[in-house]
Amino acid sequence: MDVTALLRERVWSASIPLEISLHTADCASYNAVPYLVHVPRLSYLAFLLPKLHAFFHTSLIYPSVLPTDAWLEYDHVPLKWHYPLGLLYDLYSGAEPASSHDASAEHAHVLSLDEGTPPWKLTLHFSNYPKDQLVQLDVQEKHIHDLFINNVKEADFLRNGTGKTVMSLSKEDSEQLWEGVKQRDFRRFARINNKFLNPQGATLRHIPMRLYLPHAASPQAEQLISPSNRVQEVGTDEKGVMTGSVRVVQGLVPLSSSSRQRQTVGTALHTLLPNLFRNTRGPCLIAAPVLHGAILPLDAGLEELIRTTTYVDGWLHIAFIML
Amino acid sequence: MKPVASPPHLSASEFHTACTTLVDSFNALRDTSTKQRWLDISFDPDENNLRISKELTVTRTSHQEHDPHDDPEIDDDDDERITSTANSTPLIHYDVLFSPSYSVPVLYFYVSDTLHRYPPTMDTLYLDIIAREYVDQTKDAGVLGGITVTDHPVLNQPVFFIHPCRTAEVMEASLGGREIPSFEYLLMWIGAMGKTVGLDVQIELVLMAKELIENT
Repeated sequence: MDVTALLRERVWSASIPLEISLHTADCASYNAVPYLVHVPRLSYLAFLLPKLHAFFHTSLIYPSVLPTDAWLEYDHVPLKWHYPLGLLYDLYSGAEPASSHDASAEHAHVLSLDEGTPPWKLTLHFSNYPKDQLVQLDVQEKHIHDLFINNVKEADFLRNGTGKTVMSLSKEDSEQLWEGVKQRDFRRFARINNKFLNPQGATLRHIPMRLYLPHAASPQAEQLISPSNRVQEVGTDEKGVMTGSVRVVQGLVPLSSSSRQRQTVGTALHTLLPNLFRNTRGPCLIAAPVLHGAILPLDAGLEELIRTTTYVDGWLHIAFIML
Repeated sequence: MKPVASPPHLSASEFHTACTTLVDSFNALRDTSTKQRWLDISFDPDENNLRISKELTVTRTSHQEHDPHDDPEIDDDDDERITSTANSTPLIHYDVLFSPSYSVPVLYFYVSDTLHRYPPTMDTLYLDIIAREYVDQTKDAGVLGGITVTDHPVLNQPVFFIHPCRTAEVMEASLGGREIPSFEYLLMWIGAMGKTVGLDVQIELVLMAKELIENT
């Protein structure tokens, strides 16, 4: 197996152990047993809803609630359904990301570190759905499918300049892609995904990458992240900023920069976040980009990254942790 | 004003110009005695975000504030619309942002209401925002419908959203090969995207804009 395929499969199989407890306000018994599960980093928490509903059904104060009344929270942050688990974990868990400095040997298995990882403890709610903060899902999973497809389309548009590859997918292929994601079937998924990465008669143009910056604790850091000093108007609590709110940054990042140089993580971050990444090579002292639990080296090539380490919607969703 | 360089697509700077013209026209019209359909309009150049706000005209006939003896079959659509009489009127905000991926404007919208009666759900969309005559055609498109709920790129919380993957196509058809300045592009875009969700430009505003453009 070549390195690209090996990495692709590694990223696909990486998972995070979760320990999900029912919130006391929804729990009829004194202490319900938590639900333990390994969920792939690339998967969505929304797929757990039917299982969680079935598991906790007998412990619920109101057993008539629907699986879609459920929502998950970590440390008072409601977890967004359309963010893949790996992104949520990298953003909120507080787990120390792996970095190339940790690599004691050349064969450091960054992605298999999961084995010793303690479970991420999440709280499950079945009441007081935070409608202003979380998209409400439906039992048929149409909404999460829609959010996924929208991202797939936009990624296709960025890579090829048109959305033709996605738009021209047959209904079967489109369903295969979604089923591949849902059933965690790598072959089904990869067959369609390879069409996106190798469009016929077209070259890759732009990199689908989104940056997720936490609202920083210090005002100085906040100023560097935010383009304006405007305070958000809605969805903020009394304290001003919504708990766990992030700022999402994206822009047009060409595959090769104007001087025909290879586009790297460093060159892209310098373009998108010039206040944080003042030059293309030197690391930023207050924030670090994290993808799949590891700090991204600034000299990593973006084309290699989109062929190996994107999430299932074709995007590089990069979380930032404040140092 | 120069015509849009690469129609049906718009550049970020063309979008900027068009938005500023619209804001200036609104402010100029405010100085006259004309009654405005919009409450307010503003443009944030840092986020490339044009915000148009107006009062939400409630269309839901089964709404609790509605008289139960009223027979909806008799009224025509316009008469059924009632304006909420609660202490604070809910506002609907239309945020027009520029999408760098699609190189077209994108429409996000949501209701802000101190009583939280209009959360971003499909119920709110189809019962309170979309005029009844457009409900069927809106539901037909896409997995869920032409309009979905997704996170606002600036506010990072769920709002309604019209996906831009077909916008260029729609604009191409509307343009029919004509060359138009960015401001007219924006008006045409509002006409195409806003109609079903209650966003439209009143004629006085268009006339005022023409006057402003001619005078510069």
